[in-house]
Amino acid sequence: MRHYVFKKKVLYCGIFVITLIILLHPDRNARGTYEFIAKKNILNNLLQETALNFSSTAISDCDYYKVIYDDTTLPISIIEEDLVEGHRIKEGGEYAPFDCRPKFSTAIVVPYREKAEQLRGFLVYMHMFLRRQHIHYRIYVVEQVDSRPFNRAKLMNIGAVAAMQAGYPCLVLHDVDLLPLKPANLYACTKLPRHMSSSINKFRFVLPYLNLFGGAISIASKQFKEVNGMSNVYFGWKGEDDDLYSRLETHNLKLTRFEPATSRYYMSSHQKQEIEKKRNNLFYHTKESMVTDGLNSLKYIEVATVLHPLFTHIMVDL
Amino acid sequence: MVIKKSQRDFDKIGRQSTLEMVNTTLTIQDILPYGSTKSNHKKVDMDAVLPFIILPLLLVLSTTSKLVTIIVMIFIGMGALYVQSRPRQKNRSPFFYSWTLSSGIYMFLIFELGILRLLEITQLENFVFLLLLTSTCYFFYKMKAVADFELATGTSKGKEYSPVLTSDSYYCQICQIEVNERFFHSIWWDCCVLRPNYIYFVAGQVFAFATLLYGTNLGLTTVCQPFILYGTILMPEDCNDVYYEFDLALCFVSCIYGLGYLLITALVLLRQVLIYIPKYSEPQWRKIINVLTV
Repeated sequence: MRHYVFKKKVLYCGIFVITLIILLHPDRNARGTYEFIAKKNILNNLLQETALNFSSTAISDCDYYKVIYDDTTLPISIIEEDLVEGHRIKEGGEYAPFDCRPKFSTAIVVPYREKAEQLRGFLVYMHMFLRRQHIHYRIYVVEQVDSRPFNRAKLMNIGAVAAMQAGYPCLVLHDVDLLPLKPANLYACTKLPRHMSSSINKFRFVLPYLNLFGGAISIASKQFKEVNGMSNVYFGWKGEDDDLYSRLETHNLKLTRFEPATSRYYMSSHQKQEIEKKRNNLFYHTKESMVTDGLNSLKYIEVATVLHPLFTHIMVDL
Repeated sequence: MVIKKSQRDFDKIGRQSTLEMVNTTLTIQDILPYGSTKSNHKKVDMDAVLPFIILPLLLVLSTTSKLVTIIVMIFIGMGALYVQSRPRQKNRSPFFYSWTLSSGIYMFLIFELGILRLLEITQLENFVFLLLLTSTCYFFYKMKAVADFELATGTSKGKEYSPVLTSDSYYCQICQIEVNERFFHSIWWDCCVLRPNYIYFVAGQVFAFATLLYGTNLGLTTVCQPFILYGTILMPEDCNDVYYEFDLALCFVSCIYGLGYLLITALVLLRQVLIYIPKYSEPQWRKIINVLTV
């Protein structure tokens, strides 16, 4: 009888432990922390390059040490404010610091459709944010004007091509609903592609899964060309960033991140359900499609390109 | 003679080992709490099954809109209040115990299958949650087990025991045992809380409180827009867009239901603190004071 009770206990314990292992499996749980570039190594890891036809009249170089060790958090209320007077942002949303010579040139590519109020808030916020970082940058907003489902990746490709033609060595592919909270999150490229938005408020400031490469990312133009950009076939919001990740993976480009506290972002819309759906989409990525689908197969009708005071507006019909 | 005896011994040992073998093989009937042999001649009690059907229906119903959620939650609360305030007759319906069980099981399932699927809970948080939940289950299981044991053989006697009750005890009609004034019958656990299992009851309530608090916080910060309260502690801020999608709404509604349970556990604990602890710790205080004055 005692034997019997013992066996029963063992069985229950076994079931309990197995359930525990299943529930605590890393794939079912998000990550609070991950590998990142330590603050002191950030400056060494940055890709120092300015745009081809950019020149600065300033004498001294800009100092980025202070930017990286800046501990402030910007308030979200900036999006409701107006830009400061005399912001000296050039037509097309280009800005460079005047009192020093910037070391980095970045093109910020934002795919966009229909949410005008959100875009306004984003632009005001981003200009206020980026001014603090002493970099040379330009914001490209790529708008899809047709009525097909939103194709984020293709819009990114279009913006990237425009930015590369303008000679920008570094691309930041950015969603319009994400706002960086920490000025220490430098909008410049690291030697490897960087996932910038790894700590979003809507995701409880955790990283949903390790290979996530969406939201806001920075990648050198050369690397973006090397991986043939992003896929053009993802209509509707799904899986295009996982596709980009697998492209990087086949080209042996690892992703890097900054520490969670620096990578904090604020998300302001209803797109949080994408994450779990995306993971089921991995079967799309094949090596063959990477060669034929991407920057080299990019076809679209450019409706207009307008230089607004705060951004370059590219309107396209996909 | 000697050979015969040893032969007999051998037979005995053999028979014993075969007996043991029979005993040690587990069958499905042994694992299931209600074996098939039992349920064959005893129909499954309808009262015990109903909560497992009603509760999910109510939760699904309340996912339609904010207003419906409020109405359903108030309805559940009123029902619980009515049941609680009803005179305690000889009512041993397993409905209420089943309700507790089904609430726990559904909330657990929604947490582990619904909220975790959104990939916003870290492994550590999940582990802490499971640890708290295991402790809760353990204490409540112990409470039930001790009550059952007392009922069968304990110091608290059955009906045949003295009909004359002392001043601070009364007779529990449901359990058919004499219980002390301090203790009571809980229909939600379908057992009497007596002196031997009182401590398990309190510990279970404390851990249930912690589990619910942690679980609902994790759940609500997942489905809603959170903000940083202090350090790593998050609080939900904006839950307006949960009703657009069914699974989010279901998680949200279960969290609200969990908050209701949290309130009840808090009230139960408060009651224990306010009524019992001063009364029973008084002599000890006096002892300490006496020691100090001497």
